[in-house]
Amino acid sequence: MRSLARMLAVSLALLLAVGSVYVRPAPAADDVKIALVAPLSGRWARQGQLKKMGADMAIEEINAQGGIKALGGAKLVLREADAGDSVEKAVSAAQRVLTREKISAGIGSWLSSFTLGVTEVAERLQVPWLSLSYADSITERGFKYTFQTSPVSSLQAEQALELVTDLAKKNKRPIKKAAIVGDNTAASMFFYKPLREKLLAAKGIELVVDDVWTPPLADATAIVQKLRSAQPDIVFYGATNFPDSIQVLQKVKEFGVKSPIQGVGAWLVTPEYVKTVGKETLDNIQTVVATHPMKGQEELVKKFVQRTGEPFMTQDPLCTYGHVWLIKEAIEQAKSADPKAIRDALAKIDLQSGPAANSFYPPRIKFDERGRRIGAIPLIVQWQGGEPFTVVPTAVATRPVASHK
Amino acid sequence: MAELVQYVATGLLVGGVYALMSIGLALIFGVMRVVNFAQGDFMMLGMYLTYFYAISGRVDPLLGALLSIPPFFVLGWLVHRGILARVTGGDPARQHDAQLIVTLGLSLVITNATTMILTPTPRGIPTSYATQAFAVGPVLLNQARSYAFAMALVLAAAVYLFLTRTDVGKALRAAADDPEAAGYQGIDVRAMHALAFGTGIALVAAAGGLLATYYPIEPTVAGNFIVLMFVAVVLGGLGSIPGAFVGGLVIGLVQSLTLLVLPFQLQNTGVFIAFLLVLYLRPQGLFGRRLRAV
Repeated sequence: MRSLARMLAVSLALLLAVGSVYVRPAPAADDVKIALVAPLSGRWARQGQLKKMGADMAIEEINAQGGIKALGGAKLVLREADAGDSVEKAVSAAQRVLTREKISAGIGSWLSSFTLGVTEVAERLQVPWLSLSYADSITERGFKYTFQTSPVSSLQAEQALELVTDLAKKNKRPIKKAAIVGDNTAASMFFYKPLREKLLAAKGIELVVDDVWTPPLADATAIVQKLRSAQPDIVFYGATNFPDSIQVLQKVKEFGVKSPIQGVGAWLVTPEYVKTVGKETLDNIQTVVATHPMKGQEELVKKFVQRTGEPFMTQDPLCTYGHVWLIKEAIEQAKSADPKAIRDALAKIDLQSGPAANSFYPPRIKFDERGRRIGAIPLIVQWQGGEPFTVVPTAVATRPVASHK
Repeated sequence: MAELVQYVATGLLVGGVYALMSIGLALIFGVMRVVNFAQGDFMMLGMYLTYFYAISGRVDPLLGALLSIPPFFVLGWLVHRGILARVTGGDPARQHDAQLIVTLGLSLVITNATTMILTPTPRGIPTSYATQAFAVGPVLLNQARSYAFAMALVLAAAVYLFLTRTDVGKALRAAADDPEAAGYQGIDVRAMHALAFGTGIALVAAAGGLLATYYPIEPTVAGNFIVLMFVAVVLGGLGSIPGAFVGGLVIGLVQSLTLLVLPFQLQNTGVFIAFLLVLYLRPQGLFGRRLRAV
């Protein structure tokens, strides 16, 4: 018994030691606190880490430029909470961070399924919440405090299909057969649904492979074998779990499948892909994202790369960077750190320039009554030589689109 | 027909690594009666060690997997001495709860410490054989998985020979069968437990190294395999080494063949149906002996 007690004491001491790393100095009384609820542990921790990088960068810039002018130069402070690897953990993290102290606005939580839970907490506690998640249902519940800057999944499906069919026509390789391959997380499912139900049929495209799994995927052989025999002209690809996606791409190379891959989301353009499957395998794979560094953002990307050591910037840090700046603008307009006043300012805001607006495409932030950004359209990003570049729309493209071999 | 053969071959190759992962767990349970929830986390650490061998010393991950055996044996031995030995022996019912809590806690500490120290960024060892295949007629056998399967087979055979043909192995089995009687025979049961734990951890770390030849490495990778490991061990018969090996192979095979009849979303349904069937028809598992009736 004594040894057990001693062991428990040691474990407790260890936990406290680990916990103390996170203890930060208390902010000054007039600081404005914003919350970031994102996965910082578990399967999606990498995405949370990337989001935090973007948030930190924006906060540093804002504070260095004199903080929030309407509040006498008040500084912005980030309070991050770990959404972990389940909706329950994400919800309790949001609950914790929003009730412990006064939070003016929040950002999160990457995975649509998490965002659905977290925004319920924010709505109940009346804290304005910004999200990059794609699922349509996030802004279909009549919430007043949720703002979605990304084009929703169903819209992305429509626009992505339009863009790839146009591209295929230009290359004189019209799309006749399509495949849907990916997992069943919320954003992916909302993307596949309109494709299956109407969009593909409307364009006379036959769906030849439709394989959806629950992550993790044990082995990709069967899926890739089907792709090899069906030879679709396009593969709509939604494997958000990194190991699953790597297995599929390795098999695609092994089986010599040549069908163009059109991903759904920014998970397909993270730097670790290059190190794991090599840049040759990635070449010409493209994905539809809510945002990505565009023409004119070279300085921002350079600064990000220098600060973080990441080889390039992607949707997750850029979007979160934009969100923090957007909150700053809303506070300036509200002239208050009160969450309700900031929510009202966000509902009325119409930004057409500045770091917040420039982080999205088109560069205008105005929300409709549901909280969706009006006019939001997705970008297409393509891997070229081990780096992902914005290729569509051409107005903001950083590289011309490369056609499939 | 060729399709069926391909599914069987793929299933067996996937199952080979499950099998190696599972025999470490079976050995620990068989000898110590400890359900080690941290087994998957030691596998993850084995993947990282193989990764660092490959990146810093340009060691091929197949060799790296073998080279991770000695350090992990020592680590397992130390973990047993420092932590587990304090909750084994004595009143079995109470110790059982303590062991569960200790290994679960160990798992949480390892996962989160790795996330903090090595960051959550996934890593991978780019190998040429991960994306190449041996063509046997119309059937394609992935090279990385084939090598991993062959090495898993060799390591499992080595463990089996060690347990059945050497004096230390026999002492280990004696300590497993009846610790009290083994003690009367002059066998140091505590040392045997440390040996079993060290070997179990070394085996799962080697399995991790083999897995790393084609699977990305991240601090939470254990979650993708730990349930399958437990299913393999129970399927084969708790504590039985050949049982766990066959259990692992069966899981790979069932996972693969399920796809012939069920959609992908139900990939693991076949595994759990097979699991329930075995528990219903043969509660002691495929290779288990009936120890107790519940």
